[in-house]
Amino acid sequence: MAKNKDKVVYKEKINWKREAALLPGYLLVLVWIIFTAIFLIWILGASLSTSKEIFTGSVFKFESGFHFENYINAWNSSNVSVFFMNSLLYSIVTCAVVILIAAPAAYVLSRYTFLGNKPIKTSLILAMSIPEVMIIMPIYSLTTQFQIRGRILLIILYIFIRVPFTTTYLLNFFASLSRSYEEAAAIDGCSPAKTFWQIMLPLVQPAIVTVTIFNFLSVWNEFFMALIFATSSDMTPVGVGLLQIVNSMKYTYDYGGLFAAVIIVFLPTFLLYIFLSEKIISGVTGGGVKG
Amino acid sequence: MKKKVLSVLLAAAMVMSLAACGSDGGGSSTSGDDSSSGGGEYDGVELTYWSMWTNTEPQGKVLQEAVDAWMAETGAKVTIEWKGRDIKNILASSLEANDKIDLFEDDYNRITHNLYKYVADLTDLADANGYADQSFQVFNDQAIAWVDEANEGSEGDGFLPCITEQPQAGGVFYNADIFADAGVEAPTTWAEMLDVCQKLKDAGYAPMALDSTYAPFFFGYHLARYIGQDTTATLAKEGGWSANPGVAQAADDMIEFVKAGYLVDGAPDEYPNSQNKMALGDPQAAMVVCANYVTAEVNNVATSNGADEDAALNWGLFNYPSVDGAAEGVDQTAAYAGANSIAITNYSENQEAAFDLATFITSGEYDQKMADTASQIPADPSNKAPESQNGTVEVLNAATSPLTWNMGLNENGDLMSSIQEIVVKLYEGEYATGADFAAALDALY
Amino acid sequence: MKKNRGFIVAFVTPCALSLIIMYLYPVLRTVIMSFFGIESVTASVSEWSFNGVANYVKIFGSPTFQRAMTNMLLIWLVGGIIVLAFALLFAVILTSGIRFKKFFRAAIYLPNIISAVALATMWIQYIYNQDYGLLNQFLGLFGLEGKNWLGTDMKFWAMLFAFCFGAVGYYMLIFISGIERIPADLYEAATIDGANKVQQFYSMTLPLLKSIFKTNITFWSVNCITFFLWSKMFAPVSTEAATIVPVVYLYDTVFGTTGNVSRDAGAGAAIGVTLAIFVAIIYFVMNKLLKDDDLEF
Repeated sequence: MAKNKDKVVYKEKINWKREAALLPGYLLVLVWIIFTAIFLIWILGASLSTSKEIFTGSVFKFESGFHFENYINAWNSSNVSVFFMNSLLYSIVTCAVVILIAAPAAYVLSRYTFLGNKPIKTSLILAMSIPEVMIIMPIYSLTTQFQIRGRILLIILYIFIRVPFTTTYLLNFFASLSRSYEEAAAIDGCSPAKTFWQIMLPLVQPAIVTVTIFNFLSVWNEFFMALIFATSSDMTPVGVGLLQIVNSMKYTYDYGGLFAAVIIVFLPTFLLYIFLSEKIISGVTGGGVKG
Repeated sequence: MKKKVLSVLLAAAMVMSLAACGSDGGGSSTSGDDSSSGGGEYDGVELTYWSMWTNTEPQGKVLQEAVDAWMAETGAKVTIEWKGRDIKNILASSLEANDKIDLFEDDYNRITHNLYKYVADLTDLADANGYADQSFQVFNDQAIAWVDEANEGSEGDGFLPCITEQPQAGGVFYNADIFADAGVEAPTTWAEMLDVCQKLKDAGYAPMALDSTYAPFFFGYHLARYIGQDTTATLAKEGGWSANPGVAQAADDMIEFVKAGYLVDGAPDEYPNSQNKMALGDPQAAMVVCANYVTAEVNNVATSNGADEDAALNWGLFNYPSVDGAAEGVDQTAAYAGANSIAITNYSENQEAAFDLATFITSGEYDQKMADTASQIPADPSNKAPESQNGTVEVLNAATSPLTWNMGLNENGDLMSSIQEIVVKLYEGEYATGADFAAALDALY
Repeated sequence: MKKNRGFIVAFVTPCALSLIIMYLYPVLRTVIMSFFGIESVTASVSEWSFNGVANYVKIFGSPTFQRAMTNMLLIWLVGGIIVLAFALLFAVILTSGIRFKKFFRAAIYLPNIISAVALATMWIQYIYNQDYGLLNQFLGLFGLEGKNWLGTDMKFWAMLFAFCFGAVGYYMLIFISGIERIPADLYEAATIDGANKVQQFYSMTLPLLKSIFKTNITFWSVNCITFFLWSKMFAPVSTEAATIVPVVYLYDTVFGTTGNVSRDAGAGAAIGVTLAIFVAIIYFVMNKLLKDDDLEF
């Protein structure tokens, strides 16, 4: 692999010799990306074909024309609209409430010393590394015991699950802010809470945006919790919903509709990604390096 | 400042409660018909029905229609909760917690073995309403026997725990047109079966489709013909496969079957690729060992989901062939029969109404509609099975002690997936002799 | 400070509460459950019976759990080598002054944002299909015979490879961010000293990426331990031995499966605890092996 690593970080003007040296690198990356593209194009093709065409391998021939009705069927009769709206609701509510819980905590934890500060920070990091399988059973029995069910249950769980990551992520951003903001606010007679909401919170807005995008994507694609806690099809989000659609293909055989559902589910994240890929990537690396 | 926090929290709470309210959207709580209020038999009765289907599947759609009709007739209010296939994972805990459930659907095997503690004894209601005349006896007898078995140790005998909703029958499903074209008749013995396969092959067809998911079903059938389902179950639980000559014999038959090239190309394949070759294959596959729903599935592919009704296959069913050299006392004609059934919770306050609803769904008009729409066997013997289910009713009527799914191979929960893998390998040609196969199974213990 | 106390408490309490409700209580209860005989996950404490380590003995004696653990370790080791090697390779290529870097980076990361259910469906129905699948068609171009990639012998590897393909992008991003933090003047100095590119890679880039490796290996390990969805997708009807992993085994044990109805929440808890211990060991070993402060830059 070292062979392909010919130039490191020099920024020079384009010269063809240099580009030629990079050729193996270009080729490798291109092959990989073409493979990814074939994926997406095949799914797109399949979503416009009939089951029969899919099962005879003639997806790209479109012998019977383009079956746009697959999309309508998937949206209306395969429940995709329900799954989609559920995921949207879970993602949006979770993102909003998580910030309301995590941002104040991150602020206080990073800028005030008090009893329990360090233990809470440590627990946040520990919490992020606890596998979900460690917590689902007691939560399952708790929720049955207290009869918590329906969409509200998943929303609460998602919020709790995203709190440790979001708080830890925001900690460093609050820590890097200058003390002079608070000092100035205090001189003006502004209470600490007011200082936070009106001055400090807006200052970390970029970090909030990044972490929110990241939270949104995680909740949107979440699977394991939903599989266990979404106990009826009206509260199922897209991940598990797709699995349900895949499973019920056994009975209805609408594979065109299945792939149309895949595209519908994939589209919002894809659009978000096209416009915000830089933000998302910085969210991943930021969270990753610190996690 | 606190006010601000409070208002934000309030707003959040409102969003949440709205979300909770909105959950009716996908569900199907339909309020009782206004016109019927006052005159109905069950006015003011509210029932909650947990369904194993989703409202997008044909079964779910017919169920909704049936329930709507029943509500209009009786004035009761029924809420259906569509739980989908994963209902099996949540039923036990929900029943244990006395969740608001009056009726639920599940495999009758699970109802009788796992959930019998939570379901109502329907014996008296059945007697009073003449249920015996509108159901297949085999399922009722089996359910009572199983509950009895499960109840052993505690007082009380078996009781009728559930109402059969969707019966299933297993055997060898075949394309009758191909059989006619190749000039063969349905075989009754394994020797005839091999002969039929050879003739089909000579006529340019692929005799048998097999997806790896159904490999244990095929082999389980064959093994049950030699040693019987109960012996298989004991072996699965305790091991000792090599010590039973029937195991090696059954495996040898299969090795010979595979070597002769009687499986379609690529079998055992990933579900549903191989069974689809009954509709699309080149060469076309002629037979499959499965339960009756395979016909509807293959027809869906053949007809492009009903767009081209004429392309539907001409189905036939014969009982799994008998073998030579079976152990003594093994029933050579036993067939797989299973059912999805409706049970009523023993804590339901409206068991009578629930029973009425269950029998309304499983007999008469809506049972016929369910059978026709979803291409399955009607629960009510006086209804007519759709064409794709030719021969299934005869199997059910003839069955006395039905075989269960995979004929005992699933009995060992912990080793189930490993046993299945070895059976699939048998069809992949991994083992040279039946003895090797038996030894591979024994190596698991 | 005193007048701040109320404000600090108000700000920290929701976060602390969520830690207690979502993590502290459940973890403690799961640990306790793992030492008790419990059939149903919802059974109340009065129905528990003390079991000692019987649950652990049971799961470690189960051939299926052993198989699941073996599969998990294979995913961790083989998948880890594949994923981290490709991720590093792409990271190095993308930071080598290549053009369209941002586009390439975004495209390689793309599979991570697609629902895994969709990805897996496509691998199964298209890439690995025996008759018209991309892989067999591709082999056909070279006159090679196709294979049943989803047969018992290949299924595990088919699943592993499909999973790895989707995972590379994520680890690549983390490598890139590490490489970009290495100051350019280090390389300039090395070039002046006469070190060639290959030498630079081995003697500078790799050592300087040590802490990034640590991050990546830790993440990968946790990812493998909680591996679930791909296994479920590659065994759609019932759990299959070829693709079983511990979390699937746990799910089946706690909730029961189609063919087998017995449930054992105590054993499920024991599996959960075992997996959590694995995670802890990995964190510990990684901290010991690759100390962050080995190199400062």
